[in-house]
Amino acid sequence: MSAVGNGLTLRDVTVAFGPRVGLRNLSLHVAGGERVALLGPSGVGKTSLLRAIAGLDPVVAGRIDVSGRDVTQVAPERRSVVYLHQTPALFPHLSVLDNVGFPLEVRGVGRAEARERGMALLARVQLTESATRSPSGLSGGQRHRVALARALAAEPDVLLLDEPFAALDPALRAEVRDAVFAMLEAGGARGAASPTSGLGPAVLLVTHDIDEAATLASRVVVLMDSAIAQDDAPAELLARPRDVGVARFLGLPNIIEGVRDAHGLFRSALGTVRSDGSEGRAWFVSRADAILASREDRQRSAADDDARTIVCGEVVSVHDRVGGVTVRVRVRVRDRGQAPVRVGAEETVDVVAVPERGVALSPGDVVTLRVDLSRVSVTPDPIRHV
Amino acid sequence: MPDRAGRDRPARAVRGNVLLLTVLSLVSLAPVLVLVLTAWQPPARYPSLWAEAARGNADGNVWTTILQNTTLGRAMLTSLLLALLTGLTATGIGFVAARTIARISVRARRLIAAAAFLPVIAPPLALGIGVQVFTLRLGLGGSVTGVLLSHIVPAAGYLTLFLLGALTAYDSRMEDEARSLGARPWQVLLRITLPALRGPIVQAIALGALVSWGQVALTLIVGGGIVRTLPVELLAFVRAGDDRLGAAAAILLTVPPLLAFGLVQAGARRTGVGA
Repeated sequence: MSAVGNGLTLRDVTVAFGPRVGLRNLSLHVAGGERVALLGPSGVGKTSLLRAIAGLDPVVAGRIDVSGRDVTQVAPERRSVVYLHQTPALFPHLSVLDNVGFPLEVRGVGRAEARERGMALLARVQLTESATRSPSGLSGGQRHRVALARALAAEPDVLLLDEPFAALDPALRAEVRDAVFAMLEAGGARGAASPTSGLGPAVLLVTHDIDEAATLASRVVVLMDSAIAQDDAPAELLARPRDVGVARFLGLPNIIEGVRDAHGLFRSALGTVRSDGSEGRAWFVSRADAILASREDRQRSAADDDARTIVCGEVVSVHDRVGGVTVRVRVRVRDRGQAPVRVGAEETVDVVAVPERGVALSPGDVVTLRVDLSRVSVTPDPIRHV
Repeated sequence: MPDRAGRDRPARAVRGNVLLLTVLSLVSLAPVLVLVLTAWQPPARYPSLWAEAARGNADGNVWTTILQNTTLGRAMLTSLLLALLTGLTATGIGFVAARTIARISVRARRLIAAAAFLPVIAPPLALGIGVQVFTLRLGLGGSVTGVLLSHIVPAAGYLTLFLLGALTAYDSRMEDEARSLGARPWQVLLRITLPALRGPIVQAIALGALVSWGQVALTLIVGGGIVRTLPVELLAFVRAGDDRLGAAAAILLTVPPLLAFGLVQAGARRTGVGA
């Protein structure tokens, strides 16, 4: 990892998770102004890592740099790192405005100026009318917005958000997420960048929700088995998970076992794909929208290019979700159609697909699945990091 | 809803509760009522064993006697001083101890909390003798400082447990966020911890003061009769056989705690902290 002058840099950091080691030898850089999401199963040590970066818990080993300064042994208040809990811990004995002005006052800014700047921040989260209220009178969404305004009042070089939207209901989540996004886009307390880095704060965000990570972050770091399993842009992560463990964790709907031969051909129930990798068992993975389901009863024709493979199956269920409709289609692998290949003992595989536009499907319908091979990937068994 | 006998069950339950509360109130108030009646009753006809009290009884104005009694005035001041210092010191000790206990593992917490409560469950006589030996070795026997130390021991035990309960409900994440927002440890203590726990801390000071205010056994054992507090003087009145003066002094002993309790409650209601 190259030396960097701004943002957050972790070098071989090991953190404890309770009595055991949570994450080992973690190296990561988040540039000033960049937003990176940390994604991982419960108990992997995400919160422990954030607390260690904030200086609230010690690191077992390694080094933490903030804006090029080694802060590994520096007290939390001198790190320029602000850590926000999942549920905001606003100070109940202070008004909303005094909460926002708190980071400024403890740094020696006069009360009048702190209040003035606090009001400007409250205006940006549309809470000026609540300035004199007690935090206890605020709704969940308002509390989050106040906490964010307070965090940005500190003008940190690094902002750590620990599952900031997890405790909110879906409607509030969208509201607060938009507020966070707008605030981060606009910069810090003075509507500008961090004074140290010259950029906005480096943001490290812990979440369980890949959609949230993809919305807020330009990079997603997946933590599994005490280490970084993958560090990629959200689209790349979803299109090409590093291994089947990551794919499963991301909740990709299609994870289908197959076999790769010595010539680099991977065969599964959904066809044959050329792929790099070692011979043996591997996994076909894709999102639902890489597979189109239609009533058209046809086999491969001249109109289908090499980038598609076609199999037939029967709709077993239809799922109407906020993001659109998907269907679960059962493909019999013993069929001697174009592609099905039986791997293991299973006689059928279930595939999640998106219905062709304008086509309403019902359970029992026989459909043709067209797989866009440019949007699927073949991935190995879980890579052990320990 | 009426039962088979046609009676209204909820109404019967309410009547039962009213009766129960009345009995409980009478049991609680009866001693105070007796004190008030005794203090204002006509002077006793038999000679008092205590000369000063007898002089007061001569004109029948027990309150004049009480208020003009300089020994009693000094005792009251000593009691107030001891109560205040005990409340403040024991709260300080209890706060630090409770914070430490709150941060350790649950199993160790139970053990240490039980140890903190030991001075409270130990009989005052046993505790007094232990503290007396300790204060004598320090050369503090028969001194106000020695008595203060002896009052602090059980009060600190009470307050450790009291504040441990308050800290359980306290959101310590505020301190993490305050540090992370740039506050130094002393700023966190003064601007976050103490104000957020203002209610329980004020209540703890009052509770600690009350422990000292009513203390007789420890004062007599460690003070050796040299340190005269209001309860010690009250005991002297009672031993002298003057019920009127004893009752008046007892009322005097009761009023400050009641005032303190009322002020603490009013403060808690006004600030909404620790109510």
